Amino acid sequence: MTAWLIKTFLLCVLNVAAALLLSPLCEGILRKLRATIHSRVGPPVSQPFWDIFKLLGKEDLRSTGGLVYAALPALTLGSVLLLAALVPIGTGAPLSFAGDLIVVLYVAAISSVLMMLTGFGSGSPYAAIGSSREMIMLLTVEPVMAIALAVGAFKARTLTLGGIANWQVQNGPSISMAIGGVAFFLALQAVAGKLPFDIAEADQEIMGGLLIEQSGPRLAMFRWAIWTKQLVLAFLLVEVFFPWPHFGVYPADLLATLVKVMALLVLVTVIDVVNPRLRIDQAMGYYMRVAVSSLAALAFAVIGK
Amino acid sequence: MSTVNQATVKRVKETVAARCNGSLLAATEPHADTLHFTIDKTSMRSVVESLVNGFQARFMISIGTDSRPLTGDFGILHLFSLDRDHLYILIESHASDKDLSVPSITEIIPGANWAEREFRDAVGVHPEGHPDPRRLLLADDWPEGVFPLRRDFPYNYQPPPAEKANPQLREPPPGASVMPMGPFFPVLEEPAYWRLFVEGETIVGCDTRLFYNHRGIEKLGDSVLTYNEIPYLAERICGICGFIHSTCYCQAVEKAAAISVPRRARYIRTIMLELERIHSHLLWLGIAGHIIGFDTVLMQTWRIREPLMWLCEEISGNRKTYGMNTVGGLRRDFPDALKPKLLETLAEVEKEAIAVREAIIGDPTLHARTRGVGVLTNDWAKKICVVGPPARASGVAIDARIDHPYAAYDEIPPRIATQEPGDTWSRVVVRVTELLESIRLVRDAVWAIPEGPICAEIKKEIPPGRVGVSVVEAPRGEAIHFVLTGGDNRPYRWRVRAPTYPNLQAMPAMIANANIADVPITLGSLDPCFSCTERLETVDRKTNSVRVYSHAELLEISRRKASSGASSPTARRGGSQ
Repeated sequence: MTAWLIKTFLLCVLNVAAALLLSPLCEGILRKLRATIHSRVGPPVSQPFWDIFKLLGKEDLRSTGGLVYAALPALTLGSVLLLAALVPIGTGAPLSFAGDLIVVLYVAAISSVLMMLTGFGSGSPYAAIGSSREMIMLLTVEPVMAIALAVGAFKARTLTLGGIANWQVQNGPSISMAIGGVAFFLALQAVAGKLPFDIAEADQEIMGGLLIEQSGPRLAMFRWAIWTKQLVLAFLLVEVFFPWPHFGVYPADLLATLVKVMALLVLVTVIDVVNPRLRIDQAMGYYMRVAVSSLAALAFAVIGK
Repeated sequence: MSTVNQATVKRVKETVAARCNGSLLAATEPHADTLHFTIDKTSMRSVVESLVNGFQARFMISIGTDSRPLTGDFGILHLFSLDRDHLYILIESHASDKDLSVPSITEIIPGANWAEREFRDAVGVHPEGHPDPRRLLLADDWPEGVFPLRRDFPYNYQPPPAEKANPQLREPPPGASVMPMGPFFPVLEEPAYWRLFVEGETIVGCDTRLFYNHRGIEKLGDSVLTYNEIPYLAERICGICGFIHSTCYCQAVEKAAAISVPRRARYIRTIMLELERIHSHLLWLGIAGHIIGFDTVLMQTWRIREPLMWLCEEISGNRKTYGMNTVGGLRRDFPDALKPKLLETLAEVEKEAIAVREAIIGDPTLHARTRGVGVLTNDWAKKICVVGPPARASGVAIDARIDHPYAAYDEIPPRIATQEPGDTWSRVVVRVTELLESIRLVRDAVWAIPEGPICAEIKKEIPPGRVGVSVVEAPRGEAIHFVLTGGDNRPYRWRVRAPTYPNLQAMPAMIANANIADVPITLGSLDPCFSCTERLETVDRKTNSVRVYSHAELLEISRRKASSGASSPTARRGGSQ
């Protein structure tokens, strides 16, 4: 029992550390890509690390008092790290148990909710608008993710992510899982706060929205949380919906996963760069349609495709 | 100069005389295209009504002048344009010291709202019956009864700072809350305060406080500088369309003094004006993209724009603010050796601009964000007297280059681009079409540029008491300069009206019932230039608007700064470059 605990703990630490260190690197590469499309040179790939380093060293300024408000950035980052321990990153998820799929959905929503609370609590009208937009986005995007994962659960007859992934590896691609994967990918664009869905931050309209009052270490933690969440969800998408090719050799599989995750994030960034921002009502309409379409995946799953 | 329809001139004269009912004091024709009527103020409304209803006269601007040293009273001029007939009409009336008021014409022409408030603030003549007589351009702590454009007001006078100064802003309607946009808001680039009344994300009304950036330019023009110094100050009215203002000022003086500008100089002015339009439209396209989060457009258009800036530097020595204009022509010739390079750069810009056009025309998300957004109806555009691309996008086919040709536009006329819907998308289309048309104009002008002198020789003093009205079609619309010549080698009155001045007045109607997310792009689609609009007042005191800097300490610091000379009336360059 003790050995199992230590092993699980070490795996969790490994996962969390990997997520924490990989996400700024990833962000740096994506910034470089974005700059290239802009015809810019762009900052060095290591810039996000320096950003975090710099912000963490700054004074902790808060627009309002209160212990909860003070703790919100750390709680947000913590919730994302918990998500990192629940999701398979290169290997099986360290915290895997029956029903972890539902926990993943909830934990993924926690960071959004905490950021929303930060916005509402910071006492700025722009942050309040940003938070209400974030709430709307959360409520419209969450069903899409849930439906996509439900397809996997239905097909594999299990509520564990690892189970679905294994089932996928053994049974090969199917129409329903492909549709589910695409739906999850479209949801990822909004969850990662990328254009055309960065509506809750919308610099040009509400000046950073729910994060307008955040600076220094608080901003560093929020930024880090956002980057990490985007990376972890990309891993989730790849592991659950597109786990092939599966070589059965660990280094090869890890490499394949990393390549796929990077390709996915490149796609997310390209969409981000070549689109203007939608209005909240337009984004809502869009995800309603995506949610309805993804029900088709469930239908296909029922008839066994 | 295009031919003025003499039949219309006759009809206008008859109508004004008939409407005046015997109170027509003088009717002169200072220039072939300008009619100047001096009437008793009692018949002002009826004359203006007849011009607007009978001749579709377009209101341009009002000019308040302290003419006490000349005539013993204050002169209020309303300037109108009959665009189709290429005619300016000046309606002048006087208000004596004892009865400092003239009838307001804002109820007849909603677009005269700001102009009338401005002369009230500047010279103290009250527009009787104005629907919204709040302060427009004076700072909130400016003392009552001190009028900066009166002749006895010294240009360097600084009033003492007042204690509780608040902008007179409206309260939100019941149930709505305030979302402030400004006085400093990232996408506005310049200070402007839009107080949006919102229910959820829907705008139910708005109020504005502008003119935070007053620089006292007009006052300097008629009290400190001389005719030939003003072009440099005029060029600094705006950081983007500087050449437009210096050309417009020079043309007004040239017209007043009957100076004929050499043909080569007129061609070079055309080339520089159109180059400014090209780089301004590219700049605008980038900013518009940025406002809706489309930074790729921003980065690419500004990259395309850059070689043009280098080219301007080769022509004039500066990327911007060329300092080429002088009364009578130019100080600096266009180097003919640059022609091949100019044509080459234009070809490159044209190729890339077409690529940008193709990319944005097919973008569904861009359509979703701009179609049907910020609609300015044709009717309202005419009532507010909107100019430039916003007018043309609403089906009002006016263009100063065609209606009142100047420089070399009578020889190489532009093709006008209009759209009917009046939404943000139409304004994008109009500007992109104009951008390509300007490239053609520069090319034609470069081919046709004649040899010869670049500046007229001016031997005589410029006589006092002459009037000159000049317009230039800036990228944002028509800029107007009015000059009344005076002694001391400087204008008696110099009036500048930038295109943003009328266009901003259309904003409240354009954002009514819109979503908050649509406000920045709607405002951006007007391509507002606040530094152009705000040029009259004498002291910059934006730091004392208590509502915004409510923190007592901050206020204290800003006061100390203001009293230690930070508020000197130096011209500051506006706009981003």
